[in-house]
Amino acid sequence: MTKNLTPEEIVKYFKDEFKTEIKDAKIKRRAAGSKKNEKATIWMKVDKIVFKKVIKHLLDLQFPHLSIISGNDLNETIELIYHFTVNYGNRLSEITFNISIDLPKSKPEIETICDYIPGALITEREKQEFLGVKIKGIPDDKRLFLRDDFPEGVYPWRRDETGPEKLYRNLHEVNK
Amino acid sequence: MAKGLTKSFKKALWVYHCNSGSCNGCDIEIIAALCPRYDVERFGIRLVGSPRHADVLLITGPVTRQMEDKVKRIYEQMPDPKAVICIGNCGNTGDVFYESYNLVGPVDNILPVDMHVIGCPPRPEAIILAVAKAWVKLETLEA
Amino acid sequence: MKQTTKTSYHIPVGPIHPALKEPVFFEFEIDGERIVDVNVKLGHVHRGIEWASRKRNPIQILYLAERICGICSYCHPAAFALAVEDAADIQVPERAEYLRVIQGELERICSHILWAGVAAHEIGFDTVLYLTWQMREKALDLTEYLTGNRVTKAIIMIGGIRRDITKDMLPKIQDALKYFKDNFEKIRHIFLDDKTVMMRSQGCGILTKDDALKLCAVGPTTRASGVKKDVRVDQSYFAYGDLDIDCMTPDKLTGEVNGDVYDRIIQRLLEVKQSIDLIEQCVDRMPAGDIVSEPKIAKLLAQLKRVNGEGVGRHEAPRGEVIHYVKFDGENESPYTWKVRAPTYNNILPWIPMLKGEQIADIPIVAASTDPCMSCTNRVAITLGSKKYEMDKEELHRLSVEKTRRLMK
Repeated sequence: MTKNLTPEEIVKYFKDEFKTEIKDAKIKRRAAGSKKNEKATIWMKVDKIVFKKVIKHLLDLQFPHLSIISGNDLNETIELIYHFTVNYGNRLSEITFNISIDLPKSKPEIETICDYIPGALITEREKQEFLGVKIKGIPDDKRLFLRDDFPEGVYPWRRDETGPEKLYRNLHEVNK
Repeated sequence: MAKGLTKSFKKALWVYHCNSGSCNGCDIEIIAALCPRYDVERFGIRLVGSPRHADVLLITGPVTRQMEDKVKRIYEQMPDPKAVICIGNCGNTGDVFYESYNLVGPVDNILPVDMHVIGCPPRPEAIILAVAKAWVKLETLEA
Repeated sequence: MKQTTKTSYHIPVGPIHPALKEPVFFEFEIDGERIVDVNVKLGHVHRGIEWASRKRNPIQILYLAERICGICSYCHPAAFALAVEDAADIQVPERAEYLRVIQGELERICSHILWAGVAAHEIGFDTVLYLTWQMREKALDLTEYLTGNRVTKAIIMIGGIRRDITKDMLPKIQDALKYFKDNFEKIRHIFLDDKTVMMRSQGCGILTKDDALKLCAVGPTTRASGVKKDVRVDQSYFAYGDLDIDCMTPDKLTGEVNGDVYDRIIQRLLEVKQSIDLIEQCVDRMPAGDIVSEPKIAKLLAQLKRVNGEGVGRHEAPRGEVIHYVKFDGENESPYTWKVRAPTYNNILPWIPMLKGEQIADIPIVAASTDPCMSCTNRVAITLGSKKYEMDKEELHRLSVEKTRRLMK
């Protein structure tokens, strides 16, 4: 456990370290309750080349809690968003830290972060199944959520021809 | 209790509960029916841990692909005569999960259902009534 | 002499009767009575909810989110509403923030009492199951009084809450809280002072602080291992920023953290007490005012349709942190992406260090201690060479009960 950084300090730390590889960084604050205490969220877009290094630097700050990796199919690219939280354990100073990367659809590959954060295994396996992203170096790449005989090359969260539309079924239909 | 049930029940009714992909809402209401407030054990209705011991199958959920063959296997393991009760809207019609790529339900498509209990989730009273009606069916079959 | 090689058994457990969003199929590698390795397979209740959201508007998704899990039927729509409010920058009226806390804490009481019953059942204490579920019915009565439903509550709304708590409703709330307080001592005594419960739970299923951090465990599971991580304390959302709340860890009661099953029991009991306290604080401090920012649904939907952006909503559910991510593209009514993460999702990997080295008879209580639905352990088949034995949940449960009886002698 190291020092408690403010969101501005965290963004500055990464910008100093990675310069132009940090494509976009914004801080969002929202107040809640009567006392209008604020919570902070950082949205940061990084180049996929430096992604693993960014995670390494994040680990130096404080061991982050990886909540989930979510993904968007943005037609040309696939966007992965890693939702971390840092500064937990301190009253009202936790920061939600979202790091996003763009992967080209022709070659959607990214390194695993399981060697730094072993708890990422389940969510990384899920991304392989549902978005067709190849996680390089994942310790276990078996299917987790879908049935073993679920067709290959169908990724339920894709919006293109590899989406699940072929399998779609309306339960209201009577097939008698 | 349901009409048509003999005054002294001929036998105790053992039920087996199978979740084919439901949200848990119906399942906790089934357990609630067994607990002190509703206490169905006083009628001899008991939840058992194996389908081989059961007279009635309580099935919840819209049946996912992974569960399809397992649900069939459970049904086949139950001794005759048997009754199937489908509990909750999603098993009966699909409800909010009416369209999906991973569902094969509703339960009608897979098993012959005797009783449909509607509700999301149904109240324990409704579940108890359905079990009592299944009792009538079983007693009629045996007579 | 013929040389014998030591082979281990493989025991698949599950998946019939899977519950939650994450039903589980385990494969245990067993050496005698000891568990050597655990393999997990999920997805038997994968209903494609996130995909289904593409055809629905945010209000319809509230109902869909409610049906992710029947026990957490408040926290999923709550996290979704938080995410949408974050994306669309909707300010929630102050009174609604307090009402949201009351509903959230009431659900926590229901869920933890339910869990206490299930845990007691797993070690063969069915009397306690009935005792706790009787208490739970009281909590459900209060839920029904406040929301109109027992299980799926349909109480949260984007930008507020649907039902107000008026002055004449307060006596009933206070009555129920008094009932919980009176009975809390009874439950505490059963769980924490009973010799048999202690023998079954102390030193069993240990999760170290280091493992809890590395495997990203959440909720009571991680707090019982000494990691201070509670969204209600760490972040200002709903009215939690205004209330007096402290992160509970088992050392508050016993002075030390072991991370075993016993600590997870203490943790949940402490949280029930904390929830009662939070509801009382809310009832006292609730300001007057509106309960929803935009009562006209058509207007709200039109506003959401214009939103172009993304948001994250995090809420501390009974089982741990739940996080929803929502992205709107500004063209369609339905969100572009909706990602849900329920707490058990993160609490699956910690099972592996917890179960390794334990006995088969400990599987039910160790797995139940993280509060998944333990019903997953419904069928066990032991494969020994070419022979195959089958063991169902009843037998596994019987093993667990027998161990309790042995210890009692």
